[in-house]
Amino acid sequence: MRRSPRPLRLNRLTSLTSRTAFPRLAVALLTAGALVCGASACGGRPTTHHRPGTSHEQAGGNVGRLLTADDGSGHRLRQVEATGAPAVTVAVRPDSEDGWNVHLSVRNFRFSPDSVGGAALLGRGHARLFLDGHPLARLYGPWYHLPDSLVREAGGGRTLTARLYADDHTAWAVHSTPIQATTPLTTTPSAGTPAAPRPDRTLEIVISHGKVSPAPGRTELRKGQRIELRVRTDRADTLHVHGYDKEARLPAGRTTTLTLTADHTGLFEVETHESDLLLTQLVVR
Amino acid sequence: MSVLAHGIGSRHDLPLSPFYAFAGAFAALFVSFLALGLLWPASRFRGDRAGRPLPVPLQRLADARPTRIAARAGGLAAALFVLLHLLLGPDGPERNPAAGAVYVLLWVGLVPASLLLGPVWRLLNPLRTLHLLVCRALARDPATGRPLPVRLGLWPAAAGLLAFTWLELVAPDPASSTALLLFLVPYGAVHLAGAARHGARWFDHADAFEVYSGLLARLSPLGRRPADRRLVLRSPFNGLDATPPTPGLVATVCVMLGSTAYDGFSDAPSWITSVQTSPLGRTTAATLGLLAAVALVATLYALCAGVTRLISGQLRHPLTVFAHSLVPIALGYLVAHYFTLLVTEGPHTVMVALGTDTSVPPEPPLAPGGIATLQVAAIVVGHVLGVVAAHDRSVRLFPPARAVAGQLPLLALMIAYTIGGLTLLLA
Repeated sequence: MRRSPRPLRLNRLTSLTSRTAFPRLAVALLTAGALVCGASACGGRPTTHHRPGTSHEQAGGNVGRLLTADDGSGHRLRQVEATGAPAVTVAVRPDSEDGWNVHLSVRNFRFSPDSVGGAALLGRGHARLFLDGHPLARLYGPWYHLPDSLVREAGGGRTLTARLYADDHTAWAVHSTPIQATTPLTTTPSAGTPAAPRPDRTLEIVISHGKVSPAPGRTELRKGQRIELRVRTDRADTLHVHGYDKEARLPAGRTTTLTLTADHTGLFEVETHESDLLLTQLVVR
Repeated sequence: MSVLAHGIGSRHDLPLSPFYAFAGAFAALFVSFLALGLLWPASRFRGDRAGRPLPVPLQRLADARPTRIAARAGGLAAALFVLLHLLLGPDGPERNPAAGAVYVLLWVGLVPASLLLGPVWRLLNPLRTLHLLVCRALARDPATGRPLPVRLGLWPAAAGLLAFTWLELVAPDPASSTALLLFLVPYGAVHLAGAARHGARWFDHADAFEVYSGLLARLSPLGRRPADRRLVLRSPFNGLDATPPTPGLVATVCVMLGSTAYDGFSDAPSWITSVQTSPLGRTTAATLGLLAAVALVATLYALCAGVTRLISGQLRHPLTVFAHSLVPIALGYLVAHYFTLLVTEGPHTVMVALGTDTSVPPEPPLAPGGIATLQVAAIVVGHVLGVVAAHDRSVRLFPPARAVAGQLPLLALMIAYTIGGLTLLLA
């Protein structure tokens, strides 16, 4: 059952009715209004909708129930009934040039960039993207290009989360959990590969107090193989693969993943730039 | 760039597969013993007197004043170009061609240039040209100056070579403009002062690059006959045989061999680990490594010279008389280690200098197997040339009865160097 009165639409419809099929529509609307009010026990229709930037408090709309819990980034949850609640799924695929293309499929939800900052209205709002909990971007539509640089800036991560928010920046929630979808952001995108293949080798390296463990050695690769370097360091640094000129920021205390295809032969050093440590040598035959 | 990296270049050659190393070692051993049995019993090389003169027009062209002036002007212009880039250009070899010009075009490029054309740096050396110009301006003869002490020999050049290889292989951030300026400016000042005091012959003894180029040019088919100043085509053995046994020659050759060997083992992860975890600090540890490599090469050589003296009796300078035979071995090391660097980073440097947009140096022209073959071949050919040169010298110096026994220690030393060189490529 659809429960949203949608005042904007109502206004338009009203103007329509005045010109054309007034009696039939008026009856239908009245019926719908009565049904909605009866069903959701709302205390009257929200009558105003704020222009962007003229918001009042978070509790701007009285749709659903505002919980004290927040979404982890300071936005309170707005709980609605499970039935007919907004829903989202997220799909991600590597872009041929840079980063990923993210696609959100939403149900019972419309993106409302015009009214952001206004009161919460059921089934409207925007979405936000998070990478391992770090905010990446706000979305006003289903498609988003996620550039590699943004992921690097966020320090990399493995899980992309898309969460739905109301216009007043409260997070839509059902059963006290935010309405969201996650997808793994597994591989570094590489040009020309629509679905990046799994790495042939994975190398875990930990740097602590200027010591590299396991001790620097050689990693033998065949030309064309993919290697995933997972580096964890206790000091913020930059990872650099010589010859391939791949770089990744290494935030302190987190594991950073760098994947590369060994497409030219030789011996290449993998180093950190600040602490100037050799991590391993890639031997590509 | 890091302490651990080369002066320049981000791609290293692959470690040799054992097959190539064994094949090379076997070939070296085989040739060595073959040489003992089959090579000539009386000395054949005639040193400086040998050679077939080049046609007169060619000699005239090479000796013409415009040719010489053009070469000197070219050398000076290149030096100015590098200096200006170091002073005003951006830092980092990806954008500034100066580091590539010094470490690749000059240092490595001198090897093929000297091999083909003779001691080219003598002609191009901007310091020599500057000295010449200043002497002209003061109406002084560039050759005048206090005589150099005979015992000085090539020692200053050996020291200069060691300093330069230290800069390239050990110094923190060797490709930075600061490091290069800190080396090149004092280097230029010292040598100009030396030349002002002792005249232009200072460069013959003390300029590291001139001595380096001159030693490699001993193996050039193109040479100049001192007797009649004619340019001649000659066998590299004759050129090598004519190497003057100057004091400091052994030191120079040992620095060449030792520093190249250090470049080889400084790539090994085990060495890098010990450098980057050393309590002494990285630069100190790496400096000790470089010195140890040179010292090891020199100790082995001194040991061998001592044994030769024991066997053969009355030899007066057993150290120096055979030093020339190590030049081809050093050349083999140089080719094996730097061929790829020259053919990839050389063009890259030129492209950076021309301002072409290139971030990645070109791929090496040879497949890994080809490079491995070339490396082994260079080391083995160097070994063979060294063995032949030493054989000829020993049959000249020793009485026939002792000739074979007398060259045994040197042969053992050469085999040690060659197998050592192959092991370094394997590591």
